[in-house]
Amino acid sequence: MSAPRPPAAWKAALLRHETLLLAVLVAEWLLFYHFGTTTNRRGLVVGFGTLDRQFDILRHSCEIGLLALALTPIILTAGIDLSVGSLLGLCAIVFGKLWHDGGLSIPAAAALTLLAGALGGGLNAGLITRLRLPPLIVTLGTYSLFRGLAEAITHGAVTYTDFPASFLFLGQERWLGLPTQAWLFLLVAAGVWLLVHSTTFGRAFRVIGFSPEGARYAGLPVGRCLALVYVLAGLISALAGLIYTARLGQAKADAGTGYELFAITAVVLGGTSIFGGRGSVTGTLLGVAAIAVLKNGLACLPVVIRMNAAEEMSGLLTGVLLLAALTGSMLPKILSPLLRRAQSG
Amino acid sequence: MKRYFREISVTLALGLVLLGLAVFAPAFYQPQPLLSLVTREAPTLVIACGMALVIICRQIDISVGSQFSVCSVAAGLLAAHGWPLPLVVVAAAVIGAGLGAVNGVLVAGLRLPSIVVTLATMVTLRQGLNLLRQGEFVNLPDGVQWFGLSQTAGQWTLVGAALAVLVACGLAMRHLAAGRWVYAVGTDAEAARLAGIRPQLVTFLVFVLLGALTGLAAMMNIVQSPQVQPLAGAGLELKVIAAVVVGGVSISGGRGNVWGAFAGLLLLACVAPALTHLRIEAYWEKAIQGAIILLAVVADGLRSRPGKGGRG
Amino acid sequence: MATSPSSPAPLLTLRRAAKSFGGVRALRGVDFDLAAGEVHALLGENGAGKSTLIKIITGAHRPDAGEICVAGRTVDGLTPARAQSLGIACIYQQPALFPDLTVAENIGLRLDPPGAGRRVDWRARRARAAALLARTGASLDPEAEVRELSMPEQQLVEIACAIGAGARIVVMDEPTASLTAREQERLFAVVRELRAAGVGIIYISHRLEEIFALADRVTVLRDGESVGTHAVRDITEAGLIKLMVGREVAQLYPPAESAPGATVLAVRGLGCAAAGVRDVSFEVRAGEVFGLAGLVGAGRTELARVLFGLTPADDGEIRLDGERITPQSPRAAVARGIAYVPEDRRRHGVVLEMPIAENMTMAVHPRLFPGGWLRPRAEKDLALGFIRDLAVKCAGPGAPGGSLSGGNQQKVSLARWLATKPMLLILDEPTQGVDVGAKSEIHRLIRRLAKGGLAVIMISSDLPEVLGMSDRIGVMRGGTLTAVLPGGTGAPAVMAAALGQGETQGAA
Repeated sequence: MSAPRPPAAWKAALLRHETLLLAVLVAEWLLFYHFGTTTNRRGLVVGFGTLDRQFDILRHSCEIGLLALALTPIILTAGIDLSVGSLLGLCAIVFGKLWHDGGLSIPAAAALTLLAGALGGGLNAGLITRLRLPPLIVTLGTYSLFRGLAEAITHGAVTYTDFPASFLFLGQERWLGLPTQAWLFLLVAAGVWLLVHSTTFGRAFRVIGFSPEGARYAGLPVGRCLALVYVLAGLISALAGLIYTARLGQAKADAGTGYELFAITAVVLGGTSIFGGRGSVTGTLLGVAAIAVLKNGLACLPVVIRMNAAEEMSGLLTGVLLLAALTGSMLPKILSPLLRRAQSG
Repeated sequence: MKRYFREISVTLALGLVLLGLAVFAPAFYQPQPLLSLVTREAPTLVIACGMALVIICRQIDISVGSQFSVCSVAAGLLAAHGWPLPLVVVAAAVIGAGLGAVNGVLVAGLRLPSIVVTLATMVTLRQGLNLLRQGEFVNLPDGVQWFGLSQTAGQWTLVGAALAVLVACGLAMRHLAAGRWVYAVGTDAEAARLAGIRPQLVTFLVFVLLGALTGLAAMMNIVQSPQVQPLAGAGLELKVIAAVVVGGVSISGGRGNVWGAFAGLLLLACVAPALTHLRIEAYWEKAIQGAIILLAVVADGLRSRPGKGGRG
Repeated sequence: MATSPSSPAPLLTLRRAAKSFGGVRALRGVDFDLAAGEVHALLGENGAGKSTLIKIITGAHRPDAGEICVAGRTVDGLTPARAQSLGIACIYQQPALFPDLTVAENIGLRLDPPGAGRRVDWRARRARAAALLARTGASLDPEAEVRELSMPEQQLVEIACAIGAGARIVVMDEPTASLTAREQERLFAVVRELRAAGVGIIYISHRLEEIFALADRVTVLRDGESVGTHAVRDITEAGLIKLMVGREVAQLYPPAESAPGATVLAVRGLGCAAAGVRDVSFEVRAGEVFGLAGLVGAGRTELARVLFGLTPADDGEIRLDGERITPQSPRAAVARGIAYVPEDRRRHGVVLEMPIAENMTMAVHPRLFPGGWLRPRAEKDLALGFIRDLAVKCAGPGAPGGSLSGGNQQKVSLARWLATKPMLLILDEPTQGVDVGAKSEIHRLIRRLAKGGLAVIMISSDLPEVLGMSDRIGVMRGGTLTAVLPGGTGAPAVMAAALGQGETQGAA
């Protein structure tokens, strides 16, 4: 007979992780506010505490945030996609080429770029679901392939610039008070949230992550679900590529290099288990915020400014953070049998 | 010989490419540039031997590029400080082993997935190095380059050393009990445990070995030029994994050997010069590399589809 | 109790061995001994305690009570490693070999002396493998990859390992289950050779003719107890069967309350090569409980998987409610109205990490959540309904599956499939690992479902359960349906059919 337990125990645990993360986020923000905001000679407040800076954080976090959103369903199914950053770069280049060399209008080029992203995701999906190949090595291959195609198309040198102001508005201006891309990001975030938490697909993702065999026995459409998550990731990567180009005003082959690390860290930080099944979009959003604040806050610290080491510090700390988050998630499992043995003597 | 189908087919492909080059681009076979090419690839071969072991053990390590950079800079600094070369070689290997041990502890001890762990260590090491060095080069004193020998002698030494590592690894994996344990653990860790092998220890040690070999490779790299470039390891991991996977080592563990990895490495190394001679621009290299990885994996996937025999 | 054939101390003695799992007593005070140079058969129906006894002997399980003596010396704390060093080897039905390595290497990994730096002598490995394989009579290439071997061939490799390890006590768990007649003969020769060399062999088999051909003594287990050890020449087949099943049917099973209705499922000549099922024909009617009996490995679960689309059929036809169907996947089968409650509850039946409500609705997403949008209200209502109907003891619909007892997990698994409102319900070992109280609840439930018009196929290894619950009993053996017996058939007849008694010897 089972003893009565508090209802929805697992939900309570997850919530706990997110509230912890929120607390960390707030603490982090306050830390950077305190140390990163100063008053310059003219009496103006500069640094972390300014609205401009906060909007910058928002802007910068959109692309990585989109990738993290794309990765969340994938990691829920106990899969992985290392090619999202490279696909971002490839799509940026495709967009630039379609507009600049192909003479297409911005909307047409953008639409085709999204299609290209979906196709890229489709390549991953096809290899993973049809041929049952491990996602790790497939996306490692496409990580190289997509980046390589971007370099090949641009002959390693070309950069597309001079985009019309109407397009740059997407990345550099504000709309209704917030940076434009933030609205797109929120839209995608809402969409992914609904997918993961409110649809039968989201439910199926978790079951696949917990038990792929169990999902099959329950009659769930495993192949269709997996195809969906990888194609969706491709689509979102393409969108991120467009936003990236709009923000920087240029499309280069190295766009998005290294973004996959930040995206994966955000997802894992947010409480999604790398083994699948457990996780939430809210957690991912908090993880993205935590990393964005970290990246930009570091750039505001006087000591970091002196060393001119903003990028290195943020990369270093993100790596350490990922390891800490992974270790933290595994420690209970490792320690509990040890504790039990100690208790029984 | 069906067992070695993969390795044989890669070797045949390599033969074809070499033949093609001989016919269409005989300039490829000029002795000095060829020796230089082979010498440049020697460190990669050494790392590929270690990577083959890791992948056969059903793990992966994408931090070797960063390990390589760290070891290169460390070795360069030690040499610049006047340490005798043999000691620098040992130090490089030890540092590499230490870095590998970090990965090993996290993967074998905490049972974390190696892809994510090595993703994190890759970035941590690279950025940590950038932070400390700010991209500064290390100038090596005289007597370090080519081990103080003439360029040709130094090149032959390096090639010989790489081949020695290859042969040692190849023989050990076939004829040493510990080598066979790697295959057992990579096939079925639980069955290995029941057979008296210790899977966690084996897993830990392959990461340490890969790290040590990476340190050695870093040493082999820095003696090739008067300065140490901290960016030297960029993209190395992909190159090594591609070579190993193309050479028949299965990503799901338990199959493959270093000879196949050797053939795969040579095949991929010929791609770049083949491109040049075929007048295809060098910037296609990465794309072709990715395509080759995918083709190799698809081939492996199709091969193990028709499942013969029963297992339960 | 018969005396052992030779006078020196027995190789192995178990006294009052007992073992419980959770609330279930698998072994209750069993005495067993094995003499040198004898083949001692172990007989008993599924769940009688044979595998538990074996696992205690090989050190995989620690007994809760009783003592083990090997070669006259009491052994405390027997572990698999210790058992191996004491000369105990076991050939399980599922060999634990490395599929990507060769036969010679597999044998080598087990038998080579320890040491990491030791040089591997491939020639010696191959020679030894060839020699050992020859002794088992197997014509296997030592360089063949285990992945390419069939199951019986893998078993032979295991036997070669045991011989090579110089075991003094060899346990064989149904070694001839899938061997041809000639391979069996060779195996018997090996067994006789081992016996002549003074090795003691514990031989588990359901094939009575083998026991009479090979064994010196036989011990029958029933419900965790030993009901007798006899010299093989002192007992008959009928006597053995009687020992195996003879018991009062202490439990009352809910009787059928109405006559069965129209035929729901009609199967003709059904076969699936990959699953090892061939030429199965039978019918199940609405309101009927069709019991599927047979020994482990007879193909009952495999048949269920064919019907459910997990391993689609390549021969024969399935007619559901008169219409011909060819389910190619579980999804398709569910859509047609077939539900399958799997045997492995923890891996396939219930996702332990997810809440009860989500488990229950897992198979009905298209119907309960039209358009793909989750409806928590509807889900909760459904869950509460089943929790009430099936009397699931839980902390609420949001409690994780893993917090429930085995019996209640089974109810959740059942609820998942009842939610699909199937025409045909296939239950695979519905009361396995479930305590007595929950068992009868589930039995009453099954009866109620049948009464409501469902056609039920119940796969069970619990003979009283099959006898008490079924309106008709199909008996499977060797992947095919060998008999359909009316309800109320006595245990001996069913057991005899399952054992193939009366059939001429020689498997396909």
